Amino acid sequence: MAYEQVKVKHNLALIILPVMSLLIFFGGWQLVVETNIIPSTMLASPSSVVRLFIDKLTNPNPDGATIGVHAWMSAKEAVTAYVLALIVGVPLGLAMGWFTVIRGMFRPVFELIRPIPPIAWIPLCIFWFGIGIWGKVFIIWIAGIVPFTINSWAGVNMTNPTYIQMARTYGATDWQIFTQICIPSALPMVFGALQIALAYCWTNLVGAELLAADQGLGFLIEMGRRLALPEMVVLGMVTVGVGGALIGVVVDLLERRLLAWIKR
Amino acid sequence: MSSKTVADEVIKPVTEKRDLSFRGIITNEYVLYVISSFAFLAIWHSVAKAQILGKSLATPYEVVLEMGRMMTVELAGKNLLGHIWASTQRILIGFSLGAVFGIPLGLFMALNRYVNAIVKPVFDLFKPMPPIAWISISILWFGIGEASKVFIIFIGSFVPCLLNAYNGIRIIDEELYDVVRVLGGNRRDEIFQVSFPAALPALFAGIQISISIAWTCVLAAELVGSRSGLGWVIVRGMRLTKPELVIGGMLIIALVAGLFSLSVSGLERLVCPWKRKIAGL
Repeated sequence: MAYEQVKVKHNLALIILPVMSLLIFFGGWQLVVETNIIPSTMLASPSSVVRLFIDKLTNPNPDGATIGVHAWMSAKEAVTAYVLALIVGVPLGLAMGWFTVIRGMFRPVFELIRPIPPIAWIPLCIFWFGIGIWGKVFIIWIAGIVPFTINSWAGVNMTNPTYIQMARTYGATDWQIFTQICIPSALPMVFGALQIALAYCWTNLVGAELLAADQGLGFLIEMGRRLALPEMVVLGMVTVGVGGALIGVVVDLLERRLLAWIKR
Repeated sequence: MSSKTVADEVIKPVTEKRDLSFRGIITNEYVLYVISSFAFLAIWHSVAKAQILGKSLATPYEVVLEMGRMMTVELAGKNLLGHIWASTQRILIGFSLGAVFGIPLGLFMALNRYVNAIVKPVFDLFKPMPPIAWISISILWFGIGEASKVFIIFIGSFVPCLLNAYNGIRIIDEELYDVVRVLGGNRRDEIFQVSFPAALPALFAGIQISISIAWTCVLAAELVGSRSGLGWVIVRGMRLTKPELVIGGMLIIALVAGLFSLSVSGLERLVCPWKRKIAGL
């Protein structure tokens, strides 16, 4: 039973320090506001944010919707655009990686659009779509399509050339090589894009809603600023952060499921 | 294709000459680039001319004209170059601050577990929050002057700089440290001979991400409230319903942002030439 005597030494400091630092962070934040070092018109204390959150669960005033409605609206826009970007970006990237003709056709336009931050599309979107949901979906779609395309493209490019040569030797057609070798070997890269695109979509969603929206978490933040209600701004920021983290967890789970399925 | 070495054999590339044929020319990648660029411009031009999207799309020619006009005519006291410089300056200041604080902190967190235990929980709270969400609160704090824009860019570039510095050190191959130890190096040698150089590629990846986020941030900040910069040019175009100004602004942003990212990758090639290139990335 010798192994029972070997005890893993828990370094107490490493357990206490994170807890302490969080406590000090929230405590300091509360204290700074309570003692008016930073006036409450500029920063809300954590307790007032929590209070507002409980209030906003049912109360649609003063910005026109409860927090659930705002969050649902944002999630709806983000997920719609994300799925559309996935549907267009991944096949496009895969095809650009393998077929010279498609690469030749799309690369110049793609290289032109790639460095433009999606936020810059907002004025054009307002011209074209108004401030409804589709303008925002378009911006987030632009944001998501770039990582999806690039990763799928790189994934095909990174296919082991030996496999392709072997398939050629056995007389496989271009199409067979593409579907049976390039696509499976590109899949890990495509899955890598799921998380990147998600983070990028979520960032740009907030930007789009700050500027052109009448509902959504970005709009909640912006209204907080206009009404000079810092607790509403902070509440919006926290909800955005938590929402982004939650969707990230879901995508991560999906990714693992799918990858396990592919390995099988 | 250059020659590749597989094991001991040197594979010499064989270029086979093909006869010139119409199909060969038309499917050449570079010919296709030219064709598709022209096709894109032509479609854009005809869509704008036919006013399918109403008056909200300008022809490419109008965009170029408008840009030329912007070079000489001053908008809000600055010509086009002035606005480009205004945005660039904000990015440079905000990004430098973000890198100066983010990179050392990330390195410290990776090298010292006590620093990590203190900083990581708080950092993890802020990490999932998009930097753009900070715009409103930074306007509350700093007004709509330069400080609020620099602050947002700082936040935006701080996070990827820190994360990549942190991960860059954590993913270092343990064997590299073993080599230093075998050669009689102490902790200091480990850090300076292995940790820092090995983390450089990841650092550069972080800088690349930071700069692209910084562009997003500066635009968003300028769209919300500003009197200069490329974001303001776009908003101005929107308010005046001048699509040629909006599209021109977007193209300039693409150009400048592209130049930024090119110069960072150029610098990376200078500083860490040992990094192997992955095809197509």
